[in-house]
Amino acid sequence: MSDGNYAHGDYTGDGKALFFLALRTGLLTFFTLGIYRFWAKTRIRRFIWSSTRLDGSRFEYTGTGLEKFLGFLMAVVILAVYLGLIQILLFWFGMTIFATPASPEQALAQSIGFSLSGLAVLPFVFFAIYRARRYRMARTRWRGIRFGMEKNAWGYAFRAMGYWALTLLSLGLLTPLMTFRLEKYMTDRTWFGDARFEQQGRWTALYGKMKHVFIGLALLIASGVGFALSADGFSGLTLLAIVAIPVGVVWFGIGLISYNVQSFAYLAQNKTLGERIAFHAEPRTKDIILAYIVGSIVLAIGLSVATAVWGGLAAALLSGVDFETAGPGFQPAMVAPILVTAAGYMLTLIAAHAGALAAITQPIIKHYVTTMTLINLPALASIQQRASDPGADAEGFADALDIGGAI
Amino acid sequence: MQGEAYLYDGRSAIRHRVDVTLTERRDALVISGDALPEPLVWPLPDLRALGDHPDDSQIILTRHLDTEDETLRDQARLVIDDPEMVTWLRRTRPRLHRRDLRHGTWRRIWLSLGGAVAAVLLMVFVILPALAGTLAELLPVEKEIAFGRSVKAQMERMFGAEENGALDCDAPAGRAALDRLVARLTEGQDIGYPLEVTVIEHGMMNAFAVPGGQIVVMNGLLKGAETPDMVAAVLAHEIGHVAHRDPTRNALRAAGSVGLLGLLFGDFTGSAVMVLLAEQLVNASYTQDAEAQADAFAFDTLVAADLPPEALAEMFETFRKEYGDVSGPMAHFASHPRLAERIEAARDATPAELAPRPALTETEWQALRSICD
Repeated sequence: MSDGNYAHGDYTGDGKALFFLALRTGLLTFFTLGIYRFWAKTRIRRFIWSSTRLDGSRFEYTGTGLEKFLGFLMAVVILAVYLGLIQILLFWFGMTIFATPASPEQALAQSIGFSLSGLAVLPFVFFAIYRARRYRMARTRWRGIRFGMEKNAWGYAFRAMGYWALTLLSLGLLTPLMTFRLEKYMTDRTWFGDARFEQQGRWTALYGKMKHVFIGLALLIASGVGFALSADGFSGLTLLAIVAIPVGVVWFGIGLISYNVQSFAYLAQNKTLGERIAFHAEPRTKDIILAYIVGSIVLAIGLSVATAVWGGLAAALLSGVDFETAGPGFQPAMVAPILVTAAGYMLTLIAAHAGALAAITQPIIKHYVTTMTLINLPALASIQQRASDPGADAEGFADALDIGGAI
Repeated sequence: MQGEAYLYDGRSAIRHRVDVTLTERRDALVISGDALPEPLVWPLPDLRALGDHPDDSQIILTRHLDTEDETLRDQARLVIDDPEMVTWLRRTRPRLHRRDLRHGTWRRIWLSLGGAVAAVLLMVFVILPALAGTLAELLPVEKEIAFGRSVKAQMERMFGAEENGALDCDAPAGRAALDRLVARLTEGQDIGYPLEVTVIEHGMMNAFAVPGGQIVVMNGLLKGAETPDMVAAVLAHEIGHVAHRDPTRNALRAAGSVGLLGLLFGDFTGSAVMVLLAEQLVNASYTQDAEAQADAFAFDTLVAADLPPEALAEMFETFRKEYGDVSGPMAHFASHPRLAERIEAARDATPAELAPRPALTETEWQALRSICD
């Protein structure tokens, strides 16, 4: 666990336990028309947080479903008024500006005009991302000491929009700048007890982590050049160009995952806590892809078996109905089979959700946790408790805007 | 009951090894260790365990305490791995996982809930419809017509047309009869748009108004109607929707409320169904008003054109035979609600002194019915 100076991460959560927790809470969420989802998410976080250990001490999640529910109500009031008004006005402007789609280009312009209403929530999305992280930090403890983050959500939202604009204008070439600066903005405002985190390092170092993205792109460009050169006839070059397309696409996709994993590793390795504590992280891209593939196969097999059993039950009930003689309109004999089919469909969706959490998300979290090390453990002894953070909207904006993913 | 445990005191990040015993009166835990200036005493009824713990052989204890802490708990944590102590705690303290709420929590819940519900209802039922009405009035007519064309094109594609106008029925004699009927209904009225009525090849017994003065009649309606008066009555009803700008207003209102409802139901399994049902419900509450107004408009138009409003009642009867009556709770989900009430209204609207002239001659009626052949 610890050799005095180093503290290693480990993860004790069990797939079966998490699956049944997620299934139970998923069913409750469905039967309460979605209201239980705040409690569901809270309970799943409690499980995952307390499964995570550093130097043998468990993390603790102290958030409650109730405060998330109340935060959501608050966010809904603000967003409902804002979104309702902005959407109806934008739709109206869309009608007045682009009304005659005479050509396909104009029709495209029109649909872009209508989808502009999506952009209207963008500042709130980045605001919500920061607020959500602040809430999660404020509700995370380790060894009884609170984490916390300063209040700067709007500062983050404006910077995030600026960096996103830069990234889009540079066709993605400035992605490392965005990744680094936004993470630095959040990290530099994060605290553990009375010790502050700091993001060190340089944004240009992240270009090295984009290596595989560039290789994938180079393959695709080379394939295009190959086609252009062999335009006058079929040759070995054409064959190469054809092969280069799928290879390039897959390479590019893996490159994106690799960038995610390795930029996380670089950023973690260059964080310090209270100027004395450092971190080491070496997540492996191939292990994460493998975890994803294995998890998906397990999930697919599990779901097929479950649906086969349920489908057989539905078919047995349906076989009692004579469709030939049944007239149009309402047939009482149809009620049971239809209910069974609908219940099976909902149950499958809920089980798939729970299965993905247990078979894919959890192994990936486990990999990140177990490859994480804290350096200079004795320095923790001087860290003192920080004051409690009321948590404002308890990530209600993130819940209202559906951001934040599985956990 | 005694043994060793770890304590995090909630003030520093240091892990303390401590001894845990019971008081002599067996009513509290006594936690003592070298690093503690004096032993901590935690009364047994105040003990709480952390929930959703992944390891059954371990209990992490804290205690109920009203402090600055957001959770109403002591900040200190006592980690118990000793199997004997874990068993003893489970056996004697069944309420370790009970929840503690701050005073006034229920009041806060009801206030927030009431505020949120009121804001959403106000938006969906008052502000958005009013805004939609105003914006529909402000929209230039030619823009509305163009918008309506693209809506109609989308609908045709939904009904299986490969290209715009592919489903339109244009037999010349039928077209002439339809134009004559429309002209008779709109005579002396200012609808606000050039009215454009098309018949499309589709078996459904229905007709609807599209933004920008367009009315689409499905062939199934012409086949199902027994008399030309019934077709005239349906047309008058749809012209009513056009005159009130209902389709445009509805498109605007839905644009506002769908985004809002999506926000409300969030992202859980089955939420899309909820949004759809809720939008249906909201929609139905407007269409009921809009339908009643369109009916009233139709009665006046029909009487002015020497046609019996009763024909609308007959048409509704035919709908009822074909698709069943929709009343009771299900009426909220149907866009043409409460047929029985509307049939009654149509019968009442027919003046006794009305001397009806037939809507179309027999030849014209046959031509209209075979407009798609």
